[in-house]
Amino acid sequence: MEATREIYWNVGHGVVWGMYLFAFLAMGICAWGFWKRLPVYRQGMLAQSKVLRVLDPGALHALFFWSFGLLFVGTLLIMAQADFAAPVLGIVFLKGAFYKLFSLVLDVAGIVALLMLGGLLVRRFFVKPEGLQTIRDDYVVQGLLFAIILTGFFAEGIRMAATEIGTNPGLARLSPGGLLFGTFLVGMTPAELSLAHKIVWWLHFFLAMGFIAAIPFTKLRHIFTTSANYLLADLGPKGAMATIDLEDESAEQFGAASVKDLTWKDIFDADACTSCKRCQDRCPAYATDKPLSPMKLVQQIGEIARETPEANLCHSVGEDVLWSCTTCRACQEICPASVEHVNKILEMRRNLTLMEGGFPGDEVRTAIGNIEVNGNPFGLAYAGRGDWAAGLDVATLESGAEVDILYFVGCYASFDKRNQEIARNFIKICAAAGVRVGILGKEEKCCGEPARKLGNEYLYQMMATENIELFKGYGVKKIVTTCPHCFNTLARDYKDLGLDLPVEHYTTYIGALMEQGKLQLAAEAFEFTYHDSCYLGRYMDIIDQPRAILKQAGGQISEMARSGLESFCCSAGGGRIFAEEKIGSRINVARVHMAKDTGAPLLISNCPFCLTMFEDGIKTGGVEGEIRVRDLAEIVAERISQ
Amino acid sequence: MKILVCIKQVPDLESRFKPDANGVWFSETDLAFRMNEYDEYAVEQAVRLKEQLGDAPEVTVLSIGPDRVVEAIKKALAMGCDRAVHVQDPAVHLKDPWQIASMIATYAKEQGFDLILTGMQSQDRGSAQVGVSVAEQLGIPCATTLVGFSYADGTVTAKRELEGGVKGVVKLKTPALVTCQLGLNTPRYPTLPNIMKAKKKEISAVPVAELLKSAPLAQTVSFHAPAKKGSGLVLEGDVSELVNKVIGILKEKTAVLR
Repeated sequence: MEATREIYWNVGHGVVWGMYLFAFLAMGICAWGFWKRLPVYRQGMLAQSKVLRVLDPGALHALFFWSFGLLFVGTLLIMAQADFAAPVLGIVFLKGAFYKLFSLVLDVAGIVALLMLGGLLVRRFFVKPEGLQTIRDDYVVQGLLFAIILTGFFAEGIRMAATEIGTNPGLARLSPGGLLFGTFLVGMTPAELSLAHKIVWWLHFFLAMGFIAAIPFTKLRHIFTTSANYLLADLGPKGAMATIDLEDESAEQFGAASVKDLTWKDIFDADACTSCKRCQDRCPAYATDKPLSPMKLVQQIGEIARETPEANLCHSVGEDVLWSCTTCRACQEICPASVEHVNKILEMRRNLTLMEGGFPGDEVRTAIGNIEVNGNPFGLAYAGRGDWAAGLDVATLESGAEVDILYFVGCYASFDKRNQEIARNFIKICAAAGVRVGILGKEEKCCGEPARKLGNEYLYQMMATENIELFKGYGVKKIVTTCPHCFNTLARDYKDLGLDLPVEHYTTYIGALMEQGKLQLAAEAFEFTYHDSCYLGRYMDIIDQPRAILKQAGGQISEMARSGLESFCCSAGGGRIFAEEKIGSRINVARVHMAKDTGAPLLISNCPFCLTMFEDGIKTGGVEGEIRVRDLAEIVAERISQ
Repeated sequence: MKILVCIKQVPDLESRFKPDANGVWFSETDLAFRMNEYDEYAVEQAVRLKEQLGDAPEVTVLSIGPDRVVEAIKKALAMGCDRAVHVQDPAVHLKDPWQIASMIATYAKEQGFDLILTGMQSQDRGSAQVGVSVAEQLGIPCATTLVGFSYADGTVTAKRELEGGVKGVVKLKTPALVTCQLGLNTPRYPTLPNIMKAKKKEISAVPVAELLKSAPLAQTVSFHAPAKKGSGLVLEGDVSELVNKVIGILKEKTAVLR
């Protein structure tokens, strides 16, 4: 007997309808359930919201995406009609009013797709924006897409010339694209039309199949990889990086020495990248002729993973490339493909630092040594950390005084003459608002942020655990910082090491004091431009509050072209505050010139690192006398109404 | 081959120094400590020699002082020394360089080291006597202020820094002692795996009494900040008038015009 069995034995074929009914119902519930969860999977692909953040090429891409998507849905409907609904269920739904709508929508979609494709072609091959790489894939993709849409219209036009234009002009008008092609063909004989249609139809079919087959081999792969990346993207707090377990004595490898030490997502990012170069356009290192391009770095990691997976990652990429990054996060913020650039760089830096004892320069080696010994990068006596507060209304927690907040001063505001003004003015503001402020004084240590961003997790954790022990020992309830780097580190990074306290940056803290009426300002008119520090703006999304405070203080703002989430780094992030900028031109000078170009006589910052870099940039950039830099705290303190 | 590196933990020079209660040394309040800079060159050179010889030599690091010096010892171990000796002495600051040297020499004699490296001098006391006194007491050759070092077949070739940037080259047969100067090398930054490994390396504690056999030759009598001198003087006014004022001051207060 032949090997087989009776399908639906005992159940009977009669159940098939009911079975499929329930099966479709179940699938429907399943789809609906995912639909409900979609917001959890975040914005993105279908909305093209990230793509549209850069409007010029973004709109072309988004409109093309939506119209091509509609054409795809149209083809699916035809499949459903011709191969399932009609033969299986005997239902014809592509008729009447719905067919008219179907016909019109698809034709308009085709026309829009063609126009957008034309626009993108002009941009890539004629406008040629600076830094845009054009490779083989771009010719293949442009050619394929044009051919698919044109043969589609051509096949439609032939069919319409033979069956529609003469006999049903009302319906033909609802296919404007096909009509345009068909009008030229009405003179042909039915036999000619029939042959031409067969040829063009099959051509269109094979081109479409070619498109599908080409997806993984060309940039078209981003259709899948980029959309997948939205789901794979890190939804944790911005800037979070893995805290290494230093108690684990079996660990022998730290950071990323080869692609094998990276995550799956890190390598996948290379395929999700569409080479749109938006990251590169915003990278302060790239803009000042340093060897780093976030786009090329991510692609290079993919290349290494494919071709030389055993190679040493850091040395293949290049140390200068890795040390150039200021961790400003402009690349990651803008990326329409949810590529995560910064942590890759930091993992490689970890390898350079923790496994090879590497530094970007001897000056950085000295600064790190100073942090180890004195808890500050300047190498100044730790005992002098609280000296700036002499004569001010501040208590050291050591004295046992009752305080409302702990002010975590940070190294720059503690030791650097110019930045001590921030600390003094912040105290003045708190005093006016009746807030009792405590500091740790000589017990405070560097928060460890620059060390961590340079890859030195060991020193970071050493500093962090000592600070955390102090916070806990003194029963601190709330911490305010004037440095966005300290702020990010204490508020987010220290969580992994067991600190869970409310931490605030002084800008929002002052804003709240004003809102509660505890702090009153006497507005006094001034013109200014405002620099969003990376770690307050992009990392913490605090963009409007500082502007609101300055407006209440009487300020009239002239925004720089690059502000808010698009702000341009001062050059000091990622531990670069310690490093001499030896390659290319100076980032801080570039930024100071952007500020000067607004015409405002005053640049206001919210970060000691930025203030330091801008004071220097104004001098070395030759704009002394044209623009000054001041901190928000200084502006507010001058306008306290008594 | 057995190598000994002698290190000292010193206060960071940016610290605020105050005399201690007896006025013979500084008080340790508010001081940050680190490994003596010159000793870091010695540790680095010892580890490089060990690497050059295929990890064959055993490098011992020795430090004398209170418990806090273990921090400096750990750093040396993390840089690549194999084992450590901590000579426990809470009153090390009261010993003179001769006593320190004789303690080291007593220990070294038992162990039979082929090469001893020390810093050129300590950053705090700065006597520059300990290294040479150890060599003297052991009766071995010694070269000081090294800015270059090479070793082959039992011979050390040492480049020394002389006055005015002039260099001299000397060759020493081991056993020998060298003292290291700035410019010899760039001390490595310990890698994390080596910091972890260092935690498991042996630090043998030796009570100071076991090694201290000699009496001090020099006694520190007083430790104090220099007396405050007169403050600066800013002269203003007409140039010819200023010239006369300056000449007057020079005549009155200095010997240059006499």
